[in-house]
Amino acid sequence: MIVNGEKVEADCPDHWTLLELLRYRAGLTGAKQGCDKGDCGACTVLVDGKPTLACCTLAKTVRGEVTTIEGLATPDGPHPLQRAFDACGALQCGFCQTGMILSAKALLDRNPSPDDAEIRQALSGNLCRCTGYTKIVEAVKKAATTQVSLPQKLGPAAEGFHVVGARGRKADAIGKATGTTQYTDDLVRPRMAHGRILRSPHAHARIRSIDTSRAAALEGVFAVIVGSELPTPYCVIPWTPDETALATDKVRYVGEGVAAVAAVDEDTAIRALALIEVDYEVLSAVLTPDEALATDAPRVHESDWKGRERRDNVCKEVVLEFGDVDAALGSAAATVQGHWSYAGSTHGAIEPHCALAEWDADGRLTLWSATQVMHYLHRELARQLDVPESKVRVVQPAIGGAFGGKSEPFDLEICAALLAKKAGRPVKILYTREEVFYAHRGRHPMEFDFRISADADGRITAVDNDIVLDGGAYHSFGLVTTYYAGQLLPGPLRFGTYRFRSRRVYTNKPCCGPKRGHGSVQPRFPLETAIDELAAQLGLDPIEIRRINAMESGETTVNGQLVPSTGILACLDAVEAGSDWKARHGKLPFGRGLGVATSMYISGTAYPIYPNDMPQSGVQIRADRSGRITVFSGTNDIGQGSSATLAWIVAEELGCDPDDVHVVSGDTQLCPVDLGAYSSRVTYMAGIAAREAGQALRAKIMAAVAEHWGTTASRVVVEPGRLRHAEEDRQVGFVDALRLAESRYGVLGSTGGYKTTKKLGGDYRGGTIGASPAYSATAHVAEVDVDPDTGIVKLVNLWAAHDCGRAINPTLVEGQIEGSVHMGLSEALYEHHDFYLEGRERGLHRGPSLLDYRIATALDTPPIAASIVESLDPGGPYGAKEAGEGPLHPAIPAIANAIHDAVGIRLRTMPFTPDRILAALEA
Amino acid sequence: MLRMPAFTLQQPASVDEAVRMRAELDSLYLAGGTDLLVNLKHHLQRPAHVIDLRGLPGLDGIEVGADAIRIGALTPLATVERDARVRDIVPGLAEAVASIAGPQHREMGTLGGNVMLDTRCLFYNQTEAWRTALGKCLKADGDWCHVIGSPKACVAAQSSDSVPMLTALGAVLELRTAPGEVREVALADLFTKDGRYDRMHTVPRESLLEAIRIPRPAAGHRSTYRKVRSRQAVDFPQLGVAVAATFDGRTCTAVEIVLGALLPSPRQLPTLDEAIGVEWTDAVVEAVADRVRRFARPQRSIHGDPAWRRHLAGVETRRAMLYLRP
Repeated sequence: MIVNGEKVEADCPDHWTLLELLRYRAGLTGAKQGCDKGDCGACTVLVDGKPTLACCTLAKTVRGEVTTIEGLATPDGPHPLQRAFDACGALQCGFCQTGMILSAKALLDRNPSPDDAEIRQALSGNLCRCTGYTKIVEAVKKAATTQVSLPQKLGPAAEGFHVVGARGRKADAIGKATGTTQYTDDLVRPRMAHGRILRSPHAHARIRSIDTSRAAALEGVFAVIVGSELPTPYCVIPWTPDETALATDKVRYVGEGVAAVAAVDEDTAIRALALIEVDYEVLSAVLTPDEALATDAPRVHESDWKGRERRDNVCKEVVLEFGDVDAALGSAAATVQGHWSYAGSTHGAIEPHCALAEWDADGRLTLWSATQVMHYLHRELARQLDVPESKVRVVQPAIGGAFGGKSEPFDLEICAALLAKKAGRPVKILYTREEVFYAHRGRHPMEFDFRISADADGRITAVDNDIVLDGGAYHSFGLVTTYYAGQLLPGPLRFGTYRFRSRRVYTNKPCCGPKRGHGSVQPRFPLETAIDELAAQLGLDPIEIRRINAMESGETTVNGQLVPSTGILACLDAVEAGSDWKARHGKLPFGRGLGVATSMYISGTAYPIYPNDMPQSGVQIRADRSGRITVFSGTNDIGQGSSATLAWIVAEELGCDPDDVHVVSGDTQLCPVDLGAYSSRVTYMAGIAAREAGQALRAKIMAAVAEHWGTTASRVVVEPGRLRHAEEDRQVGFVDALRLAESRYGVLGSTGGYKTTKKLGGDYRGGTIGASPAYSATAHVAEVDVDPDTGIVKLVNLWAAHDCGRAINPTLVEGQIEGSVHMGLSEALYEHHDFYLEGRERGLHRGPSLLDYRIATALDTPPIAASIVESLDPGGPYGAKEAGEGPLHPAIPAIANAIHDAVGIRLRTMPFTPDRILAALEA
Repeated sequence: MLRMPAFTLQQPASVDEAVRMRAELDSLYLAGGTDLLVNLKHHLQRPAHVIDLRGLPGLDGIEVGADAIRIGALTPLATVERDARVRDIVPGLAEAVASIAGPQHREMGTLGGNVMLDTRCLFYNQTEAWRTALGKCLKADGDWCHVIGSPKACVAAQSSDSVPMLTALGAVLELRTAPGEVREVALADLFTKDGRYDRMHTVPRESLLEAIRIPRPAAGHRSTYRKVRSRQAVDFPQLGVAVAATFDGRTCTAVEIVLGALLPSPRQLPTLDEAIGVEWTDAVVEAVADRVRRFARPQRSIHGDPAWRRHLAGVETRRAMLYLRP
């Protein structure tokens, strides 16, 4: 076979796919394994110029010439499409982009000047979970119409800055576009074995016995493990350790791991799993909160981690009241109440979880993993494997999307480590797409009994919410989620009084956890749709009632969270103007409508998951006479671009080109500790650490230059690429300045850190949960078409304005907004992490695949109009706040409100499927 | 990674050799692979041999003759979709083919493969592990239909987008049923009421589809295909409505309506007398749409509320007829 113009021997078994041959024999790892079965397009290559799913092609049946992403560049450099994807910010995690670029190439070869619709059609078989497709369409058009030049210049910086505020490339975007970036499954170690995990076919069963002897005896099997070998219960939240890597006494959902095997290859490992005999005593299961809360319901956990008997399935309950809610309700001018249901959904990162473990002869463990919380994984691996933390190294290679779905230790990481130890060789485990659905930790389904009231002026006087969270079989972040469901709701709109009761219950389903907008996306649905109903009762415009209630910068929420800055009014202004709201809301023809919604989100949690006084983010900078700056940060760049953000910040402080700043992240051995990419904390916290380290190094450079000039550092001015004397006509280039500094101080380095110092949060039990040093704000206006005959809703436009404080790199911020909107609309209209509740199929996931779990394609996603609002935060680096999660929240209620404007129905259950719409229209 | 069971790949040099292999070996035919290989990854079948048809000469291409359009079974769907003659002569077929799955599937998949597509079911198109947890079904290694809750019948849905349209167009299949033997079978006669892989067709399993022949429609032909699905790409049909009609002026002289994604066979309306010999007034359209709605009996074998899909059968029929009426 000819691949990229070179002859490649198809020396593989007949049943291997082209994808396996390319990735595992030919070393061409640019084509990715995402869904196993042609549903996502990440494996797309060209065969005779035609986009082809390598995972659905037998290697030995290929007769044409294959072009992979590695074959697209020429000696002159990357292909214009690769350049354009880089330049336009069309790459985030990059995992789906190699296939996307090849689909685009086939289009441009056929049609050199496609319009937007043709581009979306041609890319509709390539799912992207990060970008919302907007910048991808832009990149394809750019590649078709203009030369993309190199070097790519930075855009203009914000006023008063060298780099901050400038549009620019993301770190390693070109590596992702050319297929050279390495993700975990791209790694191969000498003598590497492949692991697989045996999973439960029962939703609830007691394990009477496990016999692994036949599996262990199979030729090619190196190690077999069962739950009793990993007996230490754990949880990412150290207060609630209710989980083990493999089930020990009971299985609690279909898909829970019970044993694992390492073998010479995956086929052998699969054969070995089939030889493991597990004797189950099947128990009756609880699958919904109603079932779980029923008297005499079977208990998912008979006892807790301290051995105390559990009387029911409630794993956490929080009740908090701020002000006299009942009195406020009693005197309200308008009240809305009812029951709302929020459906579960999952992250759907296109890269399945993957981990590779290796031990050295001195008993040191290295684990490469697709994780977004390297530090917490590091700690837990040491506990699970009973080795000192000093002997564990966790490396996060490039990661193909995460969204909260890779933010705690998973069974495959712990199993790979133990299997590698027992097998005496490296072991890799790659989840199938089905296993990703069982690992889950996605959005909790929630039920709300919700009440809200307002006075005659439209001011919200009371919010009262009784919340039930369907937690699945274990805790995960559930303790926090239970709080977040209540604690994060007050703001950006002001509540007069507030009460919530939040109960998380165990059910026999995969465990829920944090998905983008952890715990706080769900309650926005009742709140923001009920506010529209209040507005209608009071005769107020929906945007106006939100203005009436908008918080101001420096205000404290009813539950005691200080909001140092908020640009919610500017966000509302932006979406009102963008959508031509005043002329169109309430005035469009039947079937077309506009809806608005708002939200607020944290910029990191004020306190770490385990109490300590050490930095939450650490940064070290190393510099030398070459002019190259290396920034070491324990952050996890999960595609959002945190490494580029840190480079921007350090370059700003030093006055150098961000292209000369190389960020080393994702390695616990090389980098100072950072708590990870969760709760939208990185820009704020690691940003402050990077700024501090940058300032420290700058001080040395300025001092050395000042000494050289015989002046004081205060007379030295840092400018792009040089340092200049404030009064005299003297200047020195940046590299020469570094040489002066290295001569003066020796080896050059600096450090910086972030730690929440002042006390944040309410003065009550749980008051620190939801406390953050800064809060973003968002407003959306959605425009929908509702077909009253079919019930099908099409999102036509979405205007999203997000207050991220200072936009350090606006291209990256827009990418976060667009991606959030895509995830929100997909959740509102298409996705449902759903289970059968009746019959023999009871307890089974309804479709653990990217075919049956429907992520919106490029054709289902409208152009997203993202605008940035910069309400500078007094604490954030240069005023920056979060952008990664907040912009998702309003999408769901904005769409619901738009549906009401279109056809006059109020939906309180999501997703907004056509059968529900029709039923509501007929009711 | 989800993995296929091991098999031996056979690459016959001729159609006769392929048919002989299929008859003699524990084997399956492979064309575009977009469906078969996924089914093998699900262990729905475990053939000892897979017979690669892609190298067989003479099985692709579109010939437009005086009487018929003949499309070779291995013609890629994308080729059919983009063929100007197909779009012009039988626009409904181009629409149906353009609606299949995603762009890559249409480059890889063949028209023959789409016609011979295995029936689909939410309880069948799942991994081995998932089906084991449920208990195997009648269609694969089991004795129970989870859709209807009975051991009596498999009601997996015919899920091809091309089949309803080709049926409405009166397509005829050229099948090599044995070495040297070609049998012509009307597509409308291909399907049984049994969704099981080995029983869904009325012809022997080793039959190899060589070509699909579509009689050239009479002057005044109009056709359209309406596909119901969640997303605008990738998804299989939740319902397919194919309508092919002939008009003399404003009067309809012939019409066929065929529904897909309901039962193991495409569902053709037996008589449509109320729509023939008359103009398609709103009243006629409503009457036909209502009859189609009552005729459609969606099962829970595939995604989407059955009652909603039934309602859509009426809506989409109405829309198709309004689109076609002169």
